[in-house]
Amino acid sequence: MDSISQEKLLVLIAPLIALQLLLTLISLIMCVRSKDLNGPKIMWVLIILLGSLIGPVLFFAFGRRSS
Amino acid sequence: MTQWMVLYRKEWLELIRSSKLIWMPVVFILLGAMQPIMTYMMPDIIANAGNMPEGTIIEIPTPHASEVLAQTLQQFGTLGLLIIALISMGTVSGERMSGTSAMILVKPVAYTSFVTAKWAAIVTITAISFVLGYGAGWYYTAALFDTVAWQDAAGSLLLFGLWLSFIGTLTILFSSLLRSAAAAAFTALGTAALLSIATSLLPKALAWSPGKLAGLASAQLTSGTASGMWPVIGITFVCIIAALAISVWSLRKYPSIEAV
Amino acid sequence: MTLLTVEQLTKTFGGTCAVDGIGFTIHEGRCVALLGPNGAGKTTTIRMLTGLLAPTSGRIAFRGFAPGADHRSVIGFLPQIPALYGWMTGQEFLIYAGRLCGLSAKEAQIRCSGLLERVGIASAAKRRIAGYSGGMKQRLGLAQALIHRPKLLILDEPVSALDPIGRREVMELLRELKQETTILFSTHVLHDAEELCDDVLIMRAGRIAVGGAVSEIRNEHRQPILTLEIEQDEQSRNWLRGWLQAPPAYVQSTSANGGGARLVVTDVHAARRSLMGELLESDVRFTKLEIGHTTLEDLFMKVVTAS
Repeated sequence: MDSISQEKLLVLIAPLIALQLLLTLISLIMCVRSKDLNGPKIMWVLIILLGSLIGPVLFFAFGRRSS
Repeated sequence: MTQWMVLYRKEWLELIRSSKLIWMPVVFILLGAMQPIMTYMMPDIIANAGNMPEGTIIEIPTPHASEVLAQTLQQFGTLGLLIIALISMGTVSGERMSGTSAMILVKPVAYTSFVTAKWAAIVTITAISFVLGYGAGWYYTAALFDTVAWQDAAGSLLLFGLWLSFIGTLTILFSSLLRSAAAAAFTALGTAALLSIATSLLPKALAWSPGKLAGLASAQLTSGTASGMWPVIGITFVCIIAALAISVWSLRKYPSIEAV
Repeated sequence: MTLLTVEQLTKTFGGTCAVDGIGFTIHEGRCVALLGPNGAGKTTTIRMLTGLLAPTSGRIAFRGFAPGADHRSVIGFLPQIPALYGWMTGQEFLIYAGRLCGLSAKEAQIRCSGLLERVGIASAAKRRIAGYSGGMKQRLGLAQALIHRPKLLILDEPVSALDPIGRREVMELLRELKQETTILFSTHVLHDAEELCDDVLIMRAGRIAVGGAVSEIRNEHRQPILTLEIEQDEQSRNWLRGWLQAPPAYVQSTSANGGGARLVVTDVHAARRSLMGELLESDVRFTKLEIGHTTLEDLFMKVVTAS
């Protein structure tokens, strides 16, 4: 199985890292621009940044007050 | 039928506007791809963790590709379930609490259409996310380990997809019975956990329980067959229809919250 | 022609009776006000008429439908606070409402632009509803209730949440609409009912206390009334106090009124003659003695405060 080189592994993982960044970025932008958050903005920014995958999920599910 | 499509399209539009249709597939893809990569890199991670005396040789048997994919399913069985419960927890209660259900249901709208259109939208977004996420898992497993026969992968996808849809339906059911969205999500997840545990504790008595679906999906991957799946599938469909019927009944009885 | 007949309609919540066996009919083309103080059972009645609440007992029969049948296709409803999808635009919501009522995509589009224009929010049609003001939401709510040309338009307190200007505008809209369709609206303000309606149903404690055409009610319940005002000198005041304690037989009810009294009387001629005599005899310095009639407001107050 060790036939895969470091470079090839990086190439494989790169799109995932991009997706993760995209997700974090989208939720961050939404969080910063939103005027109707459930709780303090700084708390949500921290949750998004520190919670890798679950952070943005929590933000999308609970962060915004539904209208 | 036209009216049902109008309702379904509205749900679809809401999924887009609330950006659920973007983040949920992305999260599922990451979820699916993470497991094969983590498994692949595990020896390196342990080796680099320090604390190891010089020259220690770590022997971790390389898992079989089908086992890696089965572990991926477990990821969907935890975090994936949570996400499905989160997106569907306010399906009925949200409309009822905000009063929009009262606005819509005074129009000549069939209660059954109102509920099933919402259900179909939840099942659609779940299917899209899960197919993409599981596809990503399958692709990374193939790239890093070995290819899993597509028939087995597809079989496990359908079985596990049914389990996810079943949980989505349960969440809709509880969101029409309970006022609080969070309580609906919690109850649905609790029911899922209880079903799984009970099914593994009493395999004989609960041979046909929907709680077996996840196990059957794994068996399909690792052994190539999921014996005894048809009764389980049948019971699950019956449960889904019953849950929807109860939701419709509950909505008909309490279309809105402010009764006075 | 009768459009809607309600018989013995009752709703109990737990042990309390919110609506207690009411019955009335609504005729086509009339504008009917459901008038009463808060808690009289107006909203409960309306929710039963719209099908949002199942009656405990009683009958709601719409013309052309079997009693108790689903008549949602011929009513348009605007709740007290319209709940709309904030993430939709006004136009989207209106078209959605129209399509749900069975209009084709094209029809819905045409009705939508016409109604947006009519309720005066055409310029905001493509904006998200979340950004609408209360008055704009009320107008959009009115438009969505009208989208399928309902036979009966039901409005729950349509103006009570609006500021005076918004109130004026919605009242004007309703005045136009009553030319086209039958309207039932609830209110706790007599003035709104009097201004707009042909018929009025006054509710109190779950029952209809008085109901019928406004003009008829006004005539039927009209009673002669004597208004007496006096100067505030000791003697006159004492006389009035004493007189009010044991009023003559022709006085039906009395109420103190600033510097005098309002007397509802039975026989206006006898009352006039006798009171004049007494006033002169006791040398009361009265400043005003007026003969008039009770208004709808007197009736409303009487009905609402009756115990």
